[in-house]
Amino acid sequence: MSQPCAIVGIGQTKHKKRRDDVSLPGLVREAAQRALDDAEMTWTDIDAIVLGKAPDPFEGVMMPELSMADALGAAGKPILRVHTAGSVGGSTAIVASNLIRTGRHERVLTVAYEKQAEGNAQWGLAGGRSGGMGAGGIFAPWMRSFMARTGSPSHIGPMVAVKDRRNAAKNPYAHLQMPNLTLEEVLDSPMLWDPIHWHESCPSSDGACAMVLTTEAIAATTPRPPAWVLATAMRSELGMFPGRDPVRPQAGVECAHAVFETAGITNPFEQIDVSEIYVPFSWYEPMWLEGHDLVGKGEAWKLIEAGDTNIGGKFPVNPSGGVLSSNPIGASGMLRFAEAALQVRGMAGEHQVDGATVAFGQAYGGAAQYFAMWVVGATLDAVERKRAS
Amino acid sequence: MAGANEPVEGAGAGEQPVVMMDYFMHLEYHEVVCPIVRRYAASLMEGKILGQFSPKSGLVYVPPRSYCPVSCEWLGEDNLIELEDRGVITAFTIVTPVQYYGQEETEPFAKASVLLDGPGGMLSLQDILEIPPDEVRIGMKVEAVWLPESERNTDEIGNRSWGSAAGAIVGWRPTGEPDLPAETFTDKVY
Amino acid sequence: MNDIAIVGYAQSPSWERAELTEVQFLFPVIADAIAAANIDRRDIGFTCAGSCDYLSGQTFAFVSNLEAVGAWPPISESHVEMDGAWAMYEAWIALQHGDIDVALAFGSGKSSPGDPAHIYPLQMDPYTLTPLGADPASLAALQARALLDSGRITEREMAEVAARNRKDAIGNPHAQVSGEVDVDALLATPYVTAPMRAHDLPPYSDGACAVIMATADKAREICENPVWIRGIDHRIEIHQPGMRDLRESPSTAAAGHGAGVGDGPVDIAELSVAYTHQEKILTDALGLGDGVKINPSGGPLTANPMMATGLSRIAEAARAIQRGDAKRAVAHATSGQPLQQNLVCVLEGDLR
Repeated sequence: MSQPCAIVGIGQTKHKKRRDDVSLPGLVREAAQRALDDAEMTWTDIDAIVLGKAPDPFEGVMMPELSMADALGAAGKPILRVHTAGSVGGSTAIVASNLIRTGRHERVLTVAYEKQAEGNAQWGLAGGRSGGMGAGGIFAPWMRSFMARTGSPSHIGPMVAVKDRRNAAKNPYAHLQMPNLTLEEVLDSPMLWDPIHWHESCPSSDGACAMVLTTEAIAATTPRPPAWVLATAMRSELGMFPGRDPVRPQAGVECAHAVFETAGITNPFEQIDVSEIYVPFSWYEPMWLEGHDLVGKGEAWKLIEAGDTNIGGKFPVNPSGGVLSSNPIGASGMLRFAEAALQVRGMAGEHQVDGATVAFGQAYGGAAQYFAMWVVGATLDAVERKRAS
Repeated sequence: MAGANEPVEGAGAGEQPVVMMDYFMHLEYHEVVCPIVRRYAASLMEGKILGQFSPKSGLVYVPPRSYCPVSCEWLGEDNLIELEDRGVITAFTIVTPVQYYGQEETEPFAKASVLLDGPGGMLSLQDILEIPPDEVRIGMKVEAVWLPESERNTDEIGNRSWGSAAGAIVGWRPTGEPDLPAETFTDKVY
Repeated sequence: MNDIAIVGYAQSPSWERAELTEVQFLFPVIADAIAAANIDRRDIGFTCAGSCDYLSGQTFAFVSNLEAVGAWPPISESHVEMDGAWAMYEAWIALQHGDIDVALAFGSGKSSPGDPAHIYPLQMDPYTLTPLGADPASLAALQARALLDSGRITEREMAEVAARNRKDAIGNPHAQVSGEVDVDALLATPYVTAPMRAHDLPPYSDGACAVIMATADKAREICENPVWIRGIDHRIEIHQPGMRDLRESPSTAAAGHGAGVGDGPVDIAELSVAYTHQEKILTDALGLGDGVKINPSGGPLTANPMMATGLSRIAEAARAIQRGDAKRAVAHATSGQPLQQNLVCVLEGDLR
């Protein structure tokens, strides 16, 4: 049983290092209210809520769906709280879409957030102990491995950082907006974990993202064009075992193949107009381009160097500025999915990729072991039209 | 929101409205160290590194965990094997410490994955001694630097992989042998 | 919605303080559930876990639990930071989708390392309630007091629930507390958090539970005695306890209605009764009359592996059906203090 699922409302907060103008519920409601307004629905219209966020110790609130039930208009309704590490924003959206696609509910509000300034994410990522590696510290050897395997020149990561920060300047919600960032400035910034310089690393943000999902019949009554969920997939693998390849994780490969197959995509590079991919450290852009078989081995750096992952290029990636520009960890995955949906709705404003009708959203988490992906289209047959043309 | 941050007349000592409330909580967790890790800690006290071998998958785990997550095989005492205390660095990171609550590090430090010789086994997040962090190399041959027996204390070893040889092995120093080419351990890097 | 059946399940013992790590005691529970379901591990199309980082005392604690699942080669899998009953709900939804036919749900937790009185206040509103140290026992006590004052229950009746549960738990290998106790002897003990005495409070257990579900055709193929999920629903209430009538559980009533409790006779009900007075609230909310046997397993007052307690109710109800002790059963899970969020599941067997 699978009915179409439409995204008819999208909202997000202005992401900042510290949102001291709103409480936790206030942050979440800002995004949710914008999504409801976009869908021209009210809190009472919603049948069910799916909430997602990263570890509770990041804010010091355990199982926040309980204390936020009131603020989310959840009283009397079903609410779920998903937690799949960094991919959570994406998996939350997928769980929400399943509630529509199975016909269980007609209008689902899904929200993801993190208010990192209220806790200490570095402490949280270190498991509360001294000598924490930081997420970048764990990933750094994998990035260096990728560079060696593919012969990528060292300026490619910095080029991604420049692109994403400049893109973010076109996104009014982005945390870091640096329209004039140069390659030299990136290379001159302090090295955090070789090869990642300061400007190649994501910020720590307070932010939330929300979407309203609904049925085909109700989507026909909403004012703005919907985005349609064409396919979703989740895959997980063990994070650490002898012989694991964390540079090109198998779960990432299989998840991508699954989502493309379900969507009917036979040639991702040609048939996907825009991608929003979880890139918290610059090198993850080429790593995922290859790690999801969007381009061939050793080809990603060339695409990036040619400027083809820019808006207007052959394969735009992260026109919103991506995780490198805004990283409220729990929300970041949903922001990728939501930005993909904004693109095919034609509602991405200044960072719109012209004519986008098929978009790919991806989130990953843990030791690059959890993957959540979706493909959205401007129409239910958006991929078929691509194949036909 | 106009007016939200305006000082309230007669509000009292502070001029600015209160926007943040510090709330520190202290939670203590006392976890029983599971039997297999106790065996491992005991062997470290004796100057030995104990691993566990999974016949079905052929993989070696250190510290031992009582199961192989790849073959889904339960492993027992008879799967325990003694591992070498020499190996090769297969990966490393140089971390510039961020000062968060509880952080004790102040200088950049290197953490490496060490693939042990012989039957194998991988110890991760190990300290490399006697050379500055920026001289650490993939392929470098290293050996364990043990604390003298009388100074060993494995009380810090718990159920999580943190501090996997802490209190017994201080770190690893280069042996001076020629580096191993990366090709010899491509499938056992991490 | 499509017919889905429970085809296998397993539970660990409920330990006061487990020697094994959470992953280590979860490992055989999942293996046993798979064996009981008569499937191969690779048949599982989707897995969903329930657990809580704060209970484990570590961010991303759930990641280790993946080692008990068999996540290599990669699998389709998700996690909720909730009791395994909600993980089962997510897996049930995934099975409705049509592209998989077997799903695994599990819940696990180790309560022994931490102190519930310190940890659970973190579940409350961080601005107004957590700083008060509003712990589960205190909130349950407010509820018990309100119920006693309303005349709907007496302290003797509360003690009778405790005595009955402990007696029923004799012979349940998954129970932590069991035995024959005299009600008057219980009533002679001092209050711990008035009006509750020690017997009115749950134990805190380390443990795990796993349940395997299959779509109708698959279930009939692999299982001689599938336990059909006739309905499953869950709701949450307002958070602020001062804004709720704690003597009632409207979310349980609504979830019960949504799950179709009243659509047929109920033989047994496995309810997440962690505090003796809550049995009355829940049975009233679900409209269960005197003819229904409540918590034949002994219930959470005898075994309370947090994050698996709710799912264990479902497993115990399924067990009762497969044993022939019941044809139609209700199982209930709860989250949030007290009884803020509730899940109800109606199960039915073919035989009898």
